[in-house]
Amino acid sequence: MHLSRREFIKSGIAASTASLVGLPISKLAEAAAADLEKSWQWDKSVCRFCGTGCGIMVATKDGRIVATKGDPNAPVNKGLNCIKGYFNGKIQSGKDRLTQPLMRMKDGKFDKKGQFVPVTWEQAFDEMERQFRKTYAEKGPTGVAMLASAQKTIQEGYAFNKLFKAGWRSNTIDPNARNCMASAVAAFYSVFGTDEPAGNYDDIEYTDTMVLWGANMAEMHPILWSRITDRRLAHKSARVINVTTFRNMSSDIADLEIIFKPQTDLAIQNYIAREIIARGAINKDFVEKHCVFATGPYDIGYGMRPTDKFAYPAEKDVQAKELKVTLDKYEAIGQRRQAGEVVEQKNTGNPAAHWLISFEDFKRGVEPYTLDFVAELAKGDPDEPLDNFKAKLKQLADYYIDPQRKVVSFWTMGFNQSVRGTWLNEQCYMNHLLLGKQSMPGNGAFSLTGQPSACGTAREVGMFCHRLPADRLIPNPAHRAYSEKQWNLPAKTLNPQIGSYYGKILRDLEDGSVKWLWVSVNNPFQSHPNINHWLKAAREMDNFVVVSEAYPGVSAKVADLILPSAMIFEKWGSYGNAERRTQHWRQQVMPPGQARADIWQAMEFSKRFKVKDFWGEQKVPGLKVEGYEDGKLPSVLDEAVKMGYSPEDSLYKVLFATPANLKVRWPDGVAKGHPNHVVTLLGDGWFPEKALWQEYVPFTRGDGKDLADFDVYHDDKVRGLKWPVVDGKETGWRFNEQHDPYVKKGAGFDFYGKLFKAIPSGDLDKVTDPKPVSVAGKAKIFFRPYAAPVEQPDSNYDLWFCTGRVLEHWHTGTMTRRVPELHRAVPAAVMWMHPDDAKKRGLKRNDLVWLESRRGKVQIRVETGGRNTMPRGMVYAAFFDEGVLINKVSIDAACPISKESDFKKSAVKVYKA
Amino acid sequence: MNLSGIAVTTHPEWVEQVANALSEIEGMEVFQTDIASGKLVVVQEAASVGAEVEGFNRIRALPHVMAVDLVQHYFEHDNELIDAIPDELNGLEGIHVPAELKD
Repeated sequence: MHLSRREFIKSGIAASTASLVGLPISKLAEAAAADLEKSWQWDKSVCRFCGTGCGIMVATKDGRIVATKGDPNAPVNKGLNCIKGYFNGKIQSGKDRLTQPLMRMKDGKFDKKGQFVPVTWEQAFDEMERQFRKTYAEKGPTGVAMLASAQKTIQEGYAFNKLFKAGWRSNTIDPNARNCMASAVAAFYSVFGTDEPAGNYDDIEYTDTMVLWGANMAEMHPILWSRITDRRLAHKSARVINVTTFRNMSSDIADLEIIFKPQTDLAIQNYIAREIIARGAINKDFVEKHCVFATGPYDIGYGMRPTDKFAYPAEKDVQAKELKVTLDKYEAIGQRRQAGEVVEQKNTGNPAAHWLISFEDFKRGVEPYTLDFVAELAKGDPDEPLDNFKAKLKQLADYYIDPQRKVVSFWTMGFNQSVRGTWLNEQCYMNHLLLGKQSMPGNGAFSLTGQPSACGTAREVGMFCHRLPADRLIPNPAHRAYSEKQWNLPAKTLNPQIGSYYGKILRDLEDGSVKWLWVSVNNPFQSHPNINHWLKAAREMDNFVVVSEAYPGVSAKVADLILPSAMIFEKWGSYGNAERRTQHWRQQVMPPGQARADIWQAMEFSKRFKVKDFWGEQKVPGLKVEGYEDGKLPSVLDEAVKMGYSPEDSLYKVLFATPANLKVRWPDGVAKGHPNHVVTLLGDGWFPEKALWQEYVPFTRGDGKDLADFDVYHDDKVRGLKWPVVDGKETGWRFNEQHDPYVKKGAGFDFYGKLFKAIPSGDLDKVTDPKPVSVAGKAKIFFRPYAAPVEQPDSNYDLWFCTGRVLEHWHTGTMTRRVPELHRAVPAAVMWMHPDDAKKRGLKRNDLVWLESRRGKVQIRVETGGRNTMPRGMVYAAFFDEGVLINKVSIDAACPISKESDFKKSAVKVYKA
Repeated sequence: MNLSGIAVTTHPEWVEQVANALSEIEGMEVFQTDIASGKLVVVQEAASVGAEVEGFNRIRALPHVMAVDLVQHYFEHDNELIDAIPDELNGLEGIHVPAELKD
């Protein structure tokens, strides 16, 4: 049989595809597959995009990428790709790639009002340093800030965290993961005392009930969705339940779809808990041995500014609720109070406080959440009959409670991006713990992540304003002391006061308390809510904004200085995904032009500073911490000299090119001929990505977070490892004796996380005994009541508005809109709307409309069909499109505990443009 | 030449119908079907990458298609980079705040 060259290639591709999905292939096809690839050099890597963490194989030829495919050996995706992952090889090749530093200049020097002019790295860093020193002298460590990213590599996150906290003594560094995973983290801390999920993706193949809570996995986690559809098809009793505020692609295979009103998921989860108790379905043995009951204050505000000084006139009525709230009928019932009662928000300063309660109190807490009450409150589709909705809620409770069923609950932004995001997470654990369906194969509440290294870079490295590596916290003196020892710093070098979180950094920029801002691997001036405020702060105020970017997104455009960054396959790196799997990759190709890795930017910039610039006494406005003089960080220079440092040493030498790190030399056998442009640029012969990894891993070991050595991850046979990695073995299910080496023998389960494990006691309303009680080894089952959204539709702004992603685009589109294929697939954001709502406003599909809130307005086109079906009263539009800038409309209220913004619930009006 | 290897999943009872529907899309060739698992292996050839993506979307829009997974992407690369200031940053005069921000 004779095949043409083209047919031969095609049968090769078909063979690769067939073998991946487990279909038999012929010898001829196998030969075709081998022939197609013989001139390429394949190397394992990882996808740049979402938190799933798929393995990607990248083929290079003559220093260029020629093909990509799903990695057949990757346990996450088993060779499959979604449409974004499929185009990984092309994201670095956009025509408007930034390849040289650009600075706003006039008459040959920096000018805030000048135009962008190409400059050298030297000129760029000169101005950046001058501006840094000016602000640091005026404002101290809290006046300089970084908006960082869960898309940085782990080593980049580690380097920037160390530069800010140890070098500059500033905790004002916070990642965009704040808007993605912070609520999940806050609940991991409060419930388990340690961050990150117990389970892993294999839960999908072990379970028979998969409940999606506000998570449209068909679009946002397509590869996990493939595993879910496979399970649904292959296993007769498997069921998929989509609990959502509007019909989406995940409903297509759902056995049960529940459309609920925004934020009433708080009530639905309490209804399930009430049913568990009412039906006598509590797993008493599990709960008695491994759990305690807890609650906290309700009057915690909504994460807004405490003052309306900076609010637009239209914003003031909602902003006032930060101070006091009038309870509506449903909140009143859910919180056992009177409708119309005015509640001062007294606990905005300590929203995470919590205390032990009795089971009887817990039962009393969930008692009001009857089927009748919750159905009336929560029904989200005005066109659905109430009885129908009630039957669905009951069915949902049946699925959870059925002793024959294993249940996995999945969520991401639906829970996390809420003014009560932490509570929603805690409630999900509540039901799994009550039933004893947690931390075992096929049973568990599973918090998914949105970004490729929210876990690895942001959370594990602790690149937040309140964290240090491996679950250590800034306010904890022992944790600071440990980190100072690991980093070889004089005692009290670290700033003991929590810095500003992501949204607060932008507010600080607006009110003048931060004046030097470095933005890296994220796009806050498009992605953070209520951006009209922040755009003005960047462009019209005397602030210096540096943006490290690969493409000219909105943040680059409003910057004063743009630094061109290398992208994923142009550098060495590592990511940690949502199932605790850490994956490393090698540099595949050289970055274009003058683009350079972010880790090089951190280290090269650090060469310009000496320890004496920072380690002397520093004024810190508002610092008030036991053991420190008010408003001051002490000088540690004398101690530094005793430790062998010179005040003249550069931060580069003290933080990065340490004697130990300089011993980790390049070239290294692990490279297998791959380049490292960072090594070449630094020129002193060490291998920073490996040295910093090895410096970092001791933080993680012995504490349930153990990571393996650098070379282990680069082994050809390894496709990432799920931590804790103990004695070379990864851990499938945490807290479960059969799977987790950290669990005490004989315990069965052991929720051994150490944070917040000594708490006072009280009742549903208050602490009654402040004496801390140890709850070591236990998980907490929280009672959290229903609370109304801070902004709701009214007669003027009469629609709910929700924002999020679409399948084809990553976040703000800076990368995916450069791939012509993806751009063409979804060129512009549209606003999904119910046809009746459109008709009522005299609108039809494709009409251009104004979408307006208290905060701003944008023009967008109406979509009444397609992949989403809105209930009447609600509209949805994605945020990837900088031509629309949807976040001018969204509210910057946040969960007061996690400080994660609520992108899902704004009130808007829509009218013809 | 842009070639993609695609795995399509449907209910077993619809494999034949989906295979027929796929064959009717230009450039799409069904190489293998498996009724038991509901899987189909398709190779798409497209003149342009834009047409390639349209193809994916058309597969996804077919009745009874539950999942579309992309396996291998073979492409002629276009790594041409323009070593100059992107148009989007050119010609900005002074403060660049979109006009509607000044309401």
